[in-house]
Amino acid sequence: MEFKISKKAKTFTLTLMVIGLLFTGIGIAMHSSDHHFATRFLSNGLINSLFFFSIGLGALFFLALQYATETGWYAAVKRVIEAVMGFIPYGIGFLLLIFIVLTIMDGAHIYTWMDPEVVAHDDIIKMKSTYLNKTFFWIRTVAYLGIYFWYWRGFRTRSLEEDKVGGTEIHFKNYKKGAVFLVFFAVFSSTSSWDWVMSIDVHWFSTLFGWYTFAGIWCSSMTVIVILTLYLKKLGYLPKVNDNHIHDIGKWVFATSFLWSYLWFSQYMLIWYANLGEEVIYYMMRIEHYQVMYFGMFLVNMVFPMLLLMSRDAKRHAGTLTIIGVIILIGHWSDVYIMVSAGSLGAGASIGFLEIGMLMLMAGIFIRVILNNLSKAPMTPINHPFLDESIHHEI
Amino acid sequence: MADRILYAMYDDEEILKDGAKMLVAKGVKVEEVFSPFPIHGIDPIIGIEQTRLGIFSFIYGMIGLTLATTGMWFFMIYDWPMNIGGKPSFSYLENMMSFIPITFEFTVLCAAHGMAITYLIANRTLPGMKSQNPDPRTTDDKFVMECRTSQNTQFSADELEKMMKSTGIIELEQKDI
Amino acid sequence: MHKEAAIREPLILGHKTYHDITEDVCKPIEDKAPRMWYILFGIALVIGLYGVGCILYLLGTGVGVWGLNKTIGWAWDITNFVWWVGIGHAGTLISAVLLLFRQKWRMAINRSAEAMTIFAVFMAGLFPLIHMGRLWLGYWVLPLPNQFGSLWVNFNSPLLWDVFAISTYLSVSLVFWYIGLIPDFATIRDRAKKPVSKKMYSILSFGWSGRAKHWNRFELISVVLAGLATPLVFSVHSIVSFDFATSIIPGWHTTIFPPYFVAGAVFSGFAMVQTLMLVIRKAMKLEAYIHTKHVEYMNIVIMVTGSIVGTAYITELFVSWYSGVEYEAYAFFNRATGPYWWAYAAMMTCNVVSPQLMWIRKLRRSLIFTFVISIVVNIGMWFERYVIIVSSIHRDYLPSSWSMHYPSHIDIGVYLGTIGLFFVFFLLFARYFPVLALNELKTILKSSGESYKNGDAEVHPKPKPLAGSSLVIEAEVETKEKTSEISTEDSNSTNPAGELLAIVGNSSADSKNDLKVIKGIGPKLEDTLNSIGIWSYDQLAKMSKNEYSLLDGLIGKFAGKPEKDDWANQAKELMNTNNQ
Repeated sequence: MEFKISKKAKTFTLTLMVIGLLFTGIGIAMHSSDHHFATRFLSNGLINSLFFFSIGLGALFFLALQYATETGWYAAVKRVIEAVMGFIPYGIGFLLLIFIVLTIMDGAHIYTWMDPEVVAHDDIIKMKSTYLNKTFFWIRTVAYLGIYFWYWRGFRTRSLEEDKVGGTEIHFKNYKKGAVFLVFFAVFSSTSSWDWVMSIDVHWFSTLFGWYTFAGIWCSSMTVIVILTLYLKKLGYLPKVNDNHIHDIGKWVFATSFLWSYLWFSQYMLIWYANLGEEVIYYMMRIEHYQVMYFGMFLVNMVFPMLLLMSRDAKRHAGTLTIIGVIILIGHWSDVYIMVSAGSLGAGASIGFLEIGMLMLMAGIFIRVILNNLSKAPMTPINHPFLDESIHHEI
Repeated sequence: MADRILYAMYDDEEILKDGAKMLVAKGVKVEEVFSPFPIHGIDPIIGIEQTRLGIFSFIYGMIGLTLATTGMWFFMIYDWPMNIGGKPSFSYLENMMSFIPITFEFTVLCAAHGMAITYLIANRTLPGMKSQNPDPRTTDDKFVMECRTSQNTQFSADELEKMMKSTGIIELEQKDI
Repeated sequence: MHKEAAIREPLILGHKTYHDITEDVCKPIEDKAPRMWYILFGIALVIGLYGVGCILYLLGTGVGVWGLNKTIGWAWDITNFVWWVGIGHAGTLISAVLLLFRQKWRMAINRSAEAMTIFAVFMAGLFPLIHMGRLWLGYWVLPLPNQFGSLWVNFNSPLLWDVFAISTYLSVSLVFWYIGLIPDFATIRDRAKKPVSKKMYSILSFGWSGRAKHWNRFELISVVLAGLATPLVFSVHSIVSFDFATSIIPGWHTTIFPPYFVAGAVFSGFAMVQTLMLVIRKAMKLEAYIHTKHVEYMNIVIMVTGSIVGTAYITELFVSWYSGVEYEAYAFFNRATGPYWWAYAAMMTCNVVSPQLMWIRKLRRSLIFTFVISIVVNIGMWFERYVIIVSSIHRDYLPSSWSMHYPSHIDIGVYLGTIGLFFVFFLLFARYFPVLALNELKTILKSSGESYKNGDAEVHPKPKPLAGSSLVIEAEVETKEKTSEISTEDSNSTNPAGELLAIVGNSSADSKNDLKVIKGIGPKLEDTLNSIGIWSYDQLAKMSKNEYSLLDGLIGKFAGKPEKDDWANQAKELMNTNNQ
């Protein structure tokens, strides 16, 4: 079955983008003379590029995971996962743009280690500069994005080819490629989060940071996948998807939320307990200036999915899942927002037209790209070897 | 009224399921099915409702959560507050991070054990209980369906027997009580 | 019914029936134990008793008999504790996490893995208890009112968290394991001939009768317990890691510890499962249930968790430098190049390098290689704990306090003793308990059994109505009506079956040939062919490429078989021989 973007969806995404643009304009007009305007504007760019890119990346990871583990049930929703991961090339574009601007502006008070003047007066950064310098940063960034792009293209091309030729050759190829991708991802997901995010709080360090960020990415991706699946099912595009599939993705949302909360707790509790100056500074900043949002975001990301998605029926109920999904997404966006803003703007950050506008603009683009991707391939991967298993999926 | 129990034995769970479907369609009440392993999809056919053990487990868990929280609040904050590791125990909220691991463990402990005990009692499977399966082979590779004449008064015992015999059984045993 | 794709490897090999599974699992319990069992049991018992002797000596003399000193106040005791707890993680992970992920292969190994878990946690629990010195006052770890008024145990201490975590884990694992065992005990009870064993298994099986309602509850409680046990598995080893990570000792205090300890625990646990499984399958002749594919799956888990652990090692190492904290950097530098470099090297080789060999398919499917690696990993994981614990504290802040750790013979005796005791328990388990979840295995026989997947299993005949009953005749009429409906449909050449029959000709049960004689056709496929309307060799002989492809569309997962096995030629030959 071919997917067509409905008129309603077109108007919705367009409205999002237009209002987003409008708000951004108002924001720029209001704050352009502020002292920290450039930092604020670029922080927002970085937050949204990272957030939406990583949703696509999470979908790519999830697909590779399904390949490598030879999972069967997901076959019926494979195209949905592929559509979400289709944001990767766009996300790469946005990220590169931001990184180029930041490099030209010597970090713009976001990556302070890019600023030679700051480095000259800071012994700790000076010591780190073998790792944190512009050249090495770009080598790593290009490597991450290049590899992600390469694997995204390979999985997508082979998936469409499988529709035409069938057989098991592509399946086994995907199995191998999936496993190799996971190796890259295991390393890159950590290191890229250090480079792109942890280095904003340049003095601070935490070994768990990479895994914590990864859990957030995974959770946001599963949430987007479940919302999109429910939307498509409602429109009748996924006749092969039954309640059991929804239940399974719901379980993933539940499980990844739990994983994220567990890692959040591990990192926070250990730093709180040991109470070492160089470590607690990170949380002090967040508790002093972002208290409501910071703990609010933790409660939302943990308690909502945990209490509301615990029962079997909730995981099969479209309304509950969608509402919780949207709330979780806002929660994880806030997480990224605080990660970046508390490091770059510190006490001076606030949410206004600019923040909301840029988020809406990016969300509009994101949704439109995903829907566009959906319309480019048949909704069922007809030659997937596990399709039959997936259709008869029952728990 | 004298009751007669009919035990029909099958050697394949699918045949038993088809048989049960046919009997139920004709209005026969199937009292019980004995099998060596869970038969997928038999419950709706013979009218077994989904168990509510899960809700019980949730309740036990909540009890554990409450006990752990109040307990630790009482021990550490109310009854004998101490300054441990530079963290004075004056407020539960400020020390909550330390209490979460045990709260979690105790919640799981209560939920799991509470449910397991409820399960054993609900099943009437406790140490020293006598087994009630009609044939020892039902824990190996045979499947038995049980019908009672007292629950199927619209049929005579002979009719019931004939109907059961037509479902592909391998043996039929009858017992009067 | 559950469907499984044809390209998946079967989980139960050979021609097995439900009864065969019962036989295969119960035989070793009912037969006399082989001499080898007595020999192994004797050895394990002697070593275990030696360990008990060492513990008694320790309790009588004091913890001073261990090789600890002022600087290194924690060494073998806590190393062994963490090592055993780690091993104890695979069982519940296999039964709980893999149950939630619906991995059917777990059914062959979960029972003994859970048993292993429980015994390993017994051994782990022993160490903190004897470290208390006065074992008989062990109950003091509980928050009990006492003679000092209301002096409570310290709930802020990770060591107390451990008390709760380990005891919860042990008791929940025990319950999980036992609930699964009850139906299997019932099977043994119903087969038992000797009155003593009948009585014993009757008590153990709690009077289980296999009622549908009970199975319904059984399935639910399994899932809920799995759902509870999964975060429990994570929490337990996380809490064990908190023992170190909440401190401010460089090398101990690092935020990645909780998840990395969990991965390490799963890693070592699976290695131990491999070691035990490879022996059990051979000794108890269970090769059909635990075969290369299972070993391969477990090796993949070992490889993945080994890689996670490896990533964590590198992360720690990198961040110790990146942090810019002198002490932090020194702790790791010293760990790798200081006096304990050999332990660090052993840990890196065994835990990071050796599991990477599993990328090679041939190696991860080789049983001997797997056995070797599983032992190597267990050694490596012991060294990991030793490295973390001893190398982090042997260089105190004051150089005058620098020290080395040398284990005393009591250290070694207690450690070996726990290994001995572990095997005593495990051998008893293998002797008297069903080592496979035999009744659960039966549920996957039809979807994952080799003979069923190939279509040559014995399929039970369809119910044949008994003659002489009016009701039966009714039923017969019904079925006849149904078949005639199908055949009229068939003659419409719009559907592939009709099209096929139009070419190869109609036939009926009267002119039935035994199609099973043809290579590639089993009873199941024969039934399918008959239902399409193909009964005779004559029809098959008329087939060629076009007809094959029509047929492929009708026989589902067997597609491609007709052409591959060249049914037409086979049928022709059979017709010739029959005519002669």
